[in-house]
Amino acid sequence: MNNERLMKTLDFTKEFIKGAFSADYNSSRIMRVEAYEKLDNFMILCYGELLGLPLPSSYYSIELLPYLAEDLTTWEKRMLDRKEVLSERWGKYDWCC
Amino acid sequence: MKNIVFFGGKGGVGKTSSSASYSLFCAQRGYKTLIVSTDPAHSLGDIFEVEIGNKIRELDNNLFGLEIDPEKASDDYIKRTKAEMRKTLSPIIIEEIERQIDAMVVSPGSEEAAIFDELVKIIINYTSDYDVIIFDTAPTGHTIRLLSLPELMGAWMDSLISSRREAVELMKMSTVGNKELHDKYTNDPVLNILMRRKEEYEKAREILIDSRKACFVFVLNPEKLPIIETQKAISILAKYGIQIGGVIINKVLPDDISDEFLLKRKQTERFYMEEIYRKFKDMILMEIPLFPDDIQGKLYLEKVSLLYTDVI
Repeated sequence: MNNERLMKTLDFTKEFIKGAFSADYNSSRIMRVEAYEKLDNFMILCYGELLGLPLPSSYYSIELLPYLAEDLTTWEKRMLDRKEVLSERWGKYDWCC
Repeated sequence: MKNIVFFGGKGGVGKTSSSASYSLFCAQRGYKTLIVSTDPAHSLGDIFEVEIGNKIRELDNNLFGLEIDPEKASDDYIKRTKAEMRKTLSPIIIEEIERQIDAMVVSPGSEEAAIFDELVKIIINYTSDYDVIIFDTAPTGHTIRLLSLPELMGAWMDSLISSRREAVELMKMSTVGNKELHDKYTNDPVLNILMRRKEEYEKAREILIDSRKACFVFVLNPEKLPIIETQKAISILAKYGIQIGGVIINKVLPDDISDEFLLKRKQTERFYMEEIYRKFKDMILMEIPLFPDDIQGKLYLEKVSLLYTDVI
């Protein structure tokens, strides 16, 4: 009886750990999507000027370029492409599986 | 004796001649003095009759001068960044990013940002090397904006930092098991740079609002507009917590005039002088007379520097 409960608890814990820490599970995928969105938001705060948003700190964002330039070019293209932005929004709603 | 003294006021009231003569006054009393011009249209070199430029140069015994050159400052900044880029990025990306850099350098406010950066650097790095640092600033509006930047930029940096931190934390959580990505975000260089900048602004701001260390001196003429402008500026600076050290009344007409036109001017002037003494009565006031010829060269500056007492 007690054994059964212990097994149950262990199974539950195993499942929990799998779900929380494994990269192939949906949960971390959702988190990743969220994280990328937050990174995008940060890019807007730094380089919004390239999209036509006047910002107080664009001069200071230049020194961040060595670490952000790789994402910057693709980010700019994505932001300026309306279709891309819309499909990204839709992509968040996972209808299948 | 303050470490940092800003000279401000309306355009054309005689900021440069007042600050230059004050710097000479400090140097002659044995204080190691640095005078810095933050006005993009420099006139410091003209009054000392030497070329100063953006490297510290000795002007007299104990006296050093420097003119902040925003263009040179931003050029250096871009060069530094590009050198850093060559370490981390492929040439193809650098090529692609050139256009963005150019757009960001010419964006409105970047000259101001460059001057502000230099100002912060001077305030943080040179206060220990010199007994007094005197800033000859651009006309009022420009200067007040410059002095309010530490607070504004500090707040902006806070929001950048919190946004970046949030993203990095999420990234770290969602990349458990993906070592490469996880490591990329564990010690985020972007966050480090932002934090460093924020610290610098805080340091500069602390020095600026410390009444024992820094103060602001207004130069004005006994006329209507400079008085109004000075009043406005004083209330704005008070809001940012910057101390007012005193008011210098420049170009005061002498008493012994016989010319009718000038006598009439003197009457108007008296009215404004009374107003100045009434409005700024809690501050240290000092008069500099109108000289028959231009204030230029050391001889003149010395003449004016005799008028200063050990007050500011």
